[in-house]
Amino acid sequence: MTEFISANLPYLLAGISVGGQYALIAIGYTMVYGILRLINFAHGDIFTVAAYCMVYMNATMPLYISLPLTIVFTVALGLAVERVAYKPLRDAPRMSIMISAIGVSYLLQNLMWYVTGGLAQQYPTIPWISSTISIYTATTKMVTLVTPVLTLVLVVLLVQLIKHTKIGMAMRAVSRDFETSRLMGIKINGVISVTFAIGSFLAAVGSMLYFSNYTAVTPTAGAMPGLKAFVAAVFGGIGSIPGAVIGAFIIGIAENIIKALGWTAFSDAFTFALLIVILIFKPTGLFGEAVHEKV
Amino acid sequence: MKMFKIILAALLVILALVITASALTTRGTLPTLLERMDPENLAAQDAAMQKAKDRVTTALAENNPERAQRSLDRYINGFSAQLTLSGRVGYDLFFFRNGPSMLALALFLVVAAAGLIAHALDRSGRVRKLVLPAILITVLYVGVYIVENIAGANSMLMTVLKKGAIYALLAVSMNLLNGFTGLFSLGQAGFMLIGAYTYAIFSIETQSRAQVYQYYAGGIIQFQLPALVSIALAGLAAALFAFLIGWPVLRLKSDYLAIATLGFAEIIRAIFQYDGLGPLTNGSNLLRKFTVFDTALFPFAVAGVCIALIALLIHSTYGRSFKAIRDDEVAAEAMGINLYAHKQMAFVISSFFAGVGGALLAMYQTTVQAAAFTSAMTYEILLIVVIGGMGSISGSVIASFLFVAASEWWLRFLDNETMLGSFRVPLLRSGFRMVVFSVVIMAVVLFYRKGIMGDRELSLGRFRRRLSHRRKGGAQDG
Repeated sequence: MTEFISANLPYLLAGISVGGQYALIAIGYTMVYGILRLINFAHGDIFTVAAYCMVYMNATMPLYISLPLTIVFTVALGLAVERVAYKPLRDAPRMSIMISAIGVSYLLQNLMWYVTGGLAQQYPTIPWISSTISIYTATTKMVTLVTPVLTLVLVVLLVQLIKHTKIGMAMRAVSRDFETSRLMGIKINGVISVTFAIGSFLAAVGSMLYFSNYTAVTPTAGAMPGLKAFVAAVFGGIGSIPGAVIGAFIIGIAENIIKALGWTAFSDAFTFALLIVILIFKPTGLFGEAVHEKV
Repeated sequence: MKMFKIILAALLVILALVITASALTTRGTLPTLLERMDPENLAAQDAAMQKAKDRVTTALAENNPERAQRSLDRYINGFSAQLTLSGRVGYDLFFFRNGPSMLALALFLVVAAAGLIAHALDRSGRVRKLVLPAILITVLYVGVYIVENIAGANSMLMTVLKKGAIYALLAVSMNLLNGFTGLFSLGQAGFMLIGAYTYAIFSIETQSRAQVYQYYAGGIIQFQLPALVSIALAGLAAALFAFLIGWPVLRLKSDYLAIATLGFAEIIRAIFQYDGLGPLTNGSNLLRKFTVFDTALFPFAVAGVCIALIALLIHSTYGRSFKAIRDDEVAAEAMGINLYAHKQMAFVISSFFAGVGGALLAMYQTTVQAAAFTSAMTYEILLIVVIGGMGSISGSVIASFLFVAASEWWLRFLDNETMLGSFRVPLLRSGFRMVVFSVVIMAVVLFYRKGIMGDRELSLGRFRRRLSHRRKGGAQDG
């Protein structure tokens, strides 16, 4: 029994930790989807930009400046992307917005490639969270323990924000019925901006935690975690924040179990297989609401 | 007039048969001809002719005209035999070297003959309309052939033409799904991967297999199929896979479909890199040493035929059903269109051509590796479709060539550090090209949403009408 635990504990811990990081990205996807019905393909790249931002700022500034500045920059980027690439297409067919999102993702990746020269950069070590600790028999980084806690705290705060503030109420209204809430006098653009700001903020925090674990930053490093976080959002029922968080933890843990079983090559494929299975049997995800098509 | 056309067609067919026969037999006849061209044999012949010539001189000296005449005949016969022989060898060598293109020429002649006969027997005048496009297409292919021979097969222009033709096929196949049927699928890279691998696996030279599959004991397939057969198999493999995943995936709505197909593409990529399939797919190692094309006419021909087939499909009843589904699914169903069957059909056919395009891409690259077929590849092709116009075949074709030319050629200078005198032009360094390029794409996506062609097609009729209209308008203004 102890052998079993000591053999599998590292994987379980890694799963919980990566699950928390996926959760932070997944919330950004799920909130944007809930409001705009848009898969924000650029979200994974915003996550990567946040990492690069940290790399470059930390080279010249002390941590207590570079850390908040990274978050501010990421939020600004998220808002800018929304303003430039999505706002002009508000009334266009959904396919056009999705294509625009793909275009932004392509642009951000090429831009990062240009700025960094395509070389992998070493992510700075953030004191305390990067320090090693040992739990029971497993040695791991502090970030593994910090992630789930921080994730849960942030999610609770976010849920409070959505449930009990005015802007939260507006968000709920917009995600229920875009047109009607517009008619009711809700300033749609403000709500959408706030949504993108929250999503980008969480992505920035997620990127700090994620890259403290996987220290090499490349222009496409965020693509795979981004896609997986999206899968988590769909798995939990897109539009639902608790759903996204639970989905992310399930996927993070399942992925690491697969790795523990020695099927590392298939850990990515498994995530997508899971997505397809859930889409077939419960297309709205675990906590999603059923949508009926009206003629 | 009708008889004349038919006779001309018959002549063309005969010419085509002669060319085909020559191209096919040349391998067999060449050795015997070379044997006769052997230096020893030639030396013997030369000696005999020298003798004949000497005899002519002696006969003339002996004042014996009859003998001189006979020797002269012998001399001339030997001479013309040598000429004929070298002509024969030249002819056979030509066909030996240009066998595939000569077969293509023969095929073209047969098609032209068929066109002539159709034109002669045509009563409705429908064939008449196709004459000009047929001539233009011929000019295009001949132009590519000529440019290739002038510019050289490895020039930048030919690179762009080859890759452009392949991307055109890929974009049109994606357009069939996204632009004409309204299914937002992002699985293109996955189907291309299946096509590229199927092609590569079946057409690696048998003697090189041990070397290519060095980590997997030479692989399990120990034969080589002809290129065209492998390409067809590549398409069929992709289509079969699309058929299998279509069942679950096509029941999903727009963005769920997008993400599910994207997921399948990722799964395919993982499977093809899986070590356990190594004897077949070579794991995550390169596949190489398979048959590649040496002339740009090959991708042009294959892509041209495939695009023509897709165009025919779109103009058929099925194509109209696809468009009805795109415009309004519920209305289409009410009209009696079987939604699932038609979606499945569009999905499978599109994947077939994506597979063929993948095979061509493998030939173009000369190596394949599963790791390269990422979702970024799908996005690239999707952006081509958008730039060309969703729902326009000619738009996709034009956009493919523009896209490839811009990214591979025209914007290259942005990647090089440039000095104007002692002034270093800012920003220009490796990677800037793609940044500018993606900004241009974003501009198209945002401000020029219909793309180059919108949902219209390039049409000679409209062009002619517009010209005449303008002329009339100009006359009124004047």
